[in-house]
Amino acid sequence: MQQKRHNITGTSRNTKKLANTTEASFPGCLKAKHQRAAMATAPYNYSYIFKYIIIGDMGVGKSCLLHQFTEKKFMADCPHTIGVEFGTRIIEVSGQKIKLQIWDTAGQERFRAVTRSYYRGAAGALMVYDITRRSTYNHLSSWLTDARNLTNPNTVIILIGNKADLEAQRDVTYEEAKQFAEENGLLFLEASAKTGENVEDAFLEAAKKIYQNIQDGSLDLNAAESGVQHKPSAPQGGRLTSEPQPQREGCGC
Amino acid sequence: MFRRLIKSNGFGTTCDDAPVSPHSPSLSGRNHHAILDAAGPSHVAINAISANMDSFARGRTAILKKQPSHMEAAHFGDLGRSSVNYQAQETRSRLSKTVDQILRDNVALPYFIQFMETRSAEHLVRFWLEAESFRSTSWSRVRAHSLNSVKHSTLAEPAAALESPDSPDSPNDPSRASTLNEGDEEDTFSSRTSSRPHTPSPQDTNSHTGAPIGHRNSPTLRSETPTRQPSSRTGTPVKGQSTSGLSEKLMKSIERDAINIFTKYISPDAARPIPITEPIRNDIVAKICGEDGQVDPNCFVIAQSVVFSITEQQHFSEFLRSHYFCKYQIEVLTSGSVFLADILFCESALFYFSEYMEKEDAMNVLQFWLAAENFQDQLAAKKGQYDGQEAQNDAMILYDKYFSLQATNPLGFGDSVRMEIESNICREGGPLPDCFNTPLRQAWTTMEKVYMPGFLSSNLYYKYLSDLINSVRVDEFTGGNANTPSQGWTPEGDRNSSQGTKKAAVRILKNFDEAITVDIASLDPESLYQRPYAGRMTFGKVNELGQFIREAEPEPDVKKSKGSMFSQAMKKWVQGNSDEAQEEMAWKIAKMIGSPEVKSTKVHYLIILISTNFKFKN
Repeated sequence: MQQKRHNITGTSRNTKKLANTTEASFPGCLKAKHQRAAMATAPYNYSYIFKYIIIGDMGVGKSCLLHQFTEKKFMADCPHTIGVEFGTRIIEVSGQKIKLQIWDTAGQERFRAVTRSYYRGAAGALMVYDITRRSTYNHLSSWLTDARNLTNPNTVIILIGNKADLEAQRDVTYEEAKQFAEENGLLFLEASAKTGENVEDAFLEAAKKIYQNIQDGSLDLNAAESGVQHKPSAPQGGRLTSEPQPQREGCGC
Repeated sequence: MFRRLIKSNGFGTTCDDAPVSPHSPSLSGRNHHAILDAAGPSHVAINAISANMDSFARGRTAILKKQPSHMEAAHFGDLGRSSVNYQAQETRSRLSKTVDQILRDNVALPYFIQFMETRSAEHLVRFWLEAESFRSTSWSRVRAHSLNSVKHSTLAEPAAALESPDSPDSPNDPSRASTLNEGDEEDTFSSRTSSRPHTPSPQDTNSHTGAPIGHRNSPTLRSETPTRQPSSRTGTPVKGQSTSGLSEKLMKSIERDAINIFTKYISPDAARPIPITEPIRNDIVAKICGEDGQVDPNCFVIAQSVVFSITEQQHFSEFLRSHYFCKYQIEVLTSGSVFLADILFCESALFYFSEYMEKEDAMNVLQFWLAAENFQDQLAAKKGQYDGQEAQNDAMILYDKYFSLQATNPLGFGDSVRMEIESNICREGGPLPDCFNTPLRQAWTTMEKVYMPGFLSSNLYYKYLSDLINSVRVDEFTGGNANTPSQGWTPEGDRNSSQGTKKAAVRILKNFDEAITVDIASLDPESLYQRPYAGRMTFGKVNELGQFIREAEPEPDVKKSKGSMFSQAMKKWVQGNSDEAQEEMAWKIAKMIGSPEVKSTKVHYLIILISTNFKFKN
C-alpha cells in the first residue's frame, strides 16, 4: 500500500514550530525570570517532571522508541523488556524545562498483570503499534481500555504507529489509524525508532498537551496521582502581590 | 545458552576462549571476601554517594562506615532475618490499598467511612463490618464450643466419648463457648474486632458482635463457665443436659445479634436498608430463622458480597482520588516510620523515589529490583504452569544485563551471587520464582539502608508530602468531595460540577515560596506567578506553631532508616535556615495550615519544613 503520510513533515519543521511556540507564548519578563532561575542549578534545572508510560504489543518497538529518544541511538538487537524499565530526558515546552520520566513496559502478555501497576499516575501515555503488523493495531482497543481504566481521566494518550521506515511492508494505513485516534480522543503520529523520524515529536506533543492542561486548569497539579512533579530550580524573587478576591465557597474559614 | 554461561564466567571446566577466573575453582578461600563484597552496597552506590558532596550524602556515607556488621548480617546468608525475608511480608505498600485491605485496616477505615458519609453510603460499610464481625465471632463461638465439648467428653467415661458425635454438640450447634477457648481462637479476627472501637463505631448498639466478644465475653456467657465444668465431670447425661441448656443461651445471643443487624440494614423498614434483592432478603430470613432454631453464622455473606461489589465499583476509585485518602497517606507518611515497601509498592511514591534514585546515580539498583521482582511475580503467579525455556530466556536477559562479567549494567554482585544465579537459571526445568531472591534481597537492603534515609530527608520527599497535603486543601476549599448532596451514590452531575469548581480555582504550587491560585476568569501566564495563597491566616496559631517547633523531638525508638533521620533532618533545617524571606513565607504557610482540617501536629511541622526549604539542593 502506497499511502502518503500526511503529517510527516520531518523533524526539522517541527522543531521550528516548537521554537515559535517558545517565543510567542510567554511574555518576555517570565522568560527572563526562568533564565535567571535556570542558571542556578544546572543540569537539574527543570521545572516539571512528567511521568509517561509506553504500552503496546510485544515487538512494536517501545524500548527502541525510548532508547532513540533518550540516547539518540537505535538498538538493533535489544532483548525484550522484563517487566518495566525507565528512562529520562529533559525537554523544553513553552520555555519551560520539563523532565520526562518514561516507564517502558513489557509487551508480552505474561507481564501484563505486573505492568498494570505502573499505569497509575501517568501524566502521558504512548500507545504504540507496528504499522507492518496489523495484529498490533487490532489489539489497540485492549491497550486503550487498560489505559483509560488505570490512568487519570486527564492523562494524555498519544497513538504511535512505529516502524514508519518500513513503508514497503505497511499493513495499516495512516488514515484509518488517524480516524481511530480521533474517535478516541488521542493524539497521533507515525514514527520510526530506527531513523528517528517523529520520535522526539511523539514525546513532545504529549508534553505540550499536558502542559496546556496544566495551564487551563484541567490537570490538577496538586493531585498526588497527576503524574506531574513541579518545582522551581531556584527560589523566586517573591512576587507577593495583593491577595485575591475570595472565591472559595464553603471553605468555612 | 549453556555455552554462553560457561564462556562468560568460567563456570565449567571446559571453556576455551573465555577468561576463566583463576580463582573460581578455589573460591572457598576468597568466599568470605566475595560474600562481603556482595553484602555491602555496590561500588556504584558508594561512588554515587561520594560523588554527591551534599551533606546528606556525607551523612549517609558515615552511616555506611558505621554499619558494616549490621549490613552484613542483614544481607547475607540467613534467610530468617527480617529485612532479608522480604518476600512474604513486604509486598504491599501501606499507601496503596484495595477495598478489602481498607476494610481490615483500622488506620485507613475511619477515613474511608468519612468519605462514604459524604456520599451517604456509609451504611454499606457499617453493614459489611458488622456482618463480618458477626460471622466471624459466631463461628468462633460455635467452634470453641464444639472443641470444648469434645474435650470434655473425653474426660467422661469412654462410652460418653463414643456418644459425642451423636450428641447435640455438633459443630453446627451454636452452643456455649468457654471464655478460655474464645480467647485463643480467631486471634487475627479478634484483634481486628478489638480495634473496631476506634472507628466511628458501628458497634455502639451491638455489643455482642463488636470487640468485646473476643476477649471480654458478655456477663451472661462468662457466668456460664463455672457452672458448666462441674457438671461435665459427672458424665455424659448430665453434660448433655447442661450444654443443651446453655447452648440455648448462646443460640439466643447469636440470634439477637443477627436480628439486630437485620433490623438495621436488611429489613425493608430499616432506616438505611442496603440494596439487596428480595430473594436475598428472604434467604437471610431463612438462615436466621432456621428450621432447627439455629442461626447460620453465614447468613449475611451473600449480602456482604453484594455490598462489597457496590463499594468497590461505585465508590472506591473516587475514594482513592479523594482528599480523605490523601489524609490517610499523610498519616502513614508522617507516622515516623516509613518503610521501603511503602514507597516501592505505591506508584505515586515510586514516581518521586525514581527521580531521587536517578539523581543519586543509582537507577540501576532500582531498575534491577523492578525487573527481577516483576519477573518473579509473573512467574509465581503461574503456579508452576509456565514454559521453562521462556522463563530461562527472560532470566538470561537479566543475567546478561546485571550479572555477567560483560554485563551492560553491572551492579557489583560478587562471584558467589553470580554463580548462584547461574545455577538457578540453568536448573533443569528452568528458573523458579525465587531465582533472584539473593540479589533482590541485597538490592532491597541497599535501597533501604543506603538510599531511603536520604530520600526521606530530601526535597523530593517533602515535595511528595506537600503535594498530598495540598491536594487535601484544594479538595476542601473547592468543595471537591465534601459537599455531595445526599441523593444516592454517584450522581454524575455532581461530579461534573465538582470538576468545574476545581477548574475555577486551581492552585499551583509552582514555587515553594508562593502558593499560587490561578483564577480562570482572568487567566494569563502572568497570573501563574501572582496571588500568594492568602486563604486562612489565623494569627492565633503562630504562637502554637512557634512552640511546637521547639518542642519537636525525633521519636526515640524509631530506627534510623525509618524516620528518625527524617525528624533530625527536619530539625536541622528548621533551625538552620536563615533566609529571612523564606522564614517569613514559612510563617505564612504555617498560619494558613492552622485550619481545623489539618490537625496533625506532624503535618504542621512538615509544612513549615517544606516552606523553609525552598532551595533545591539538586
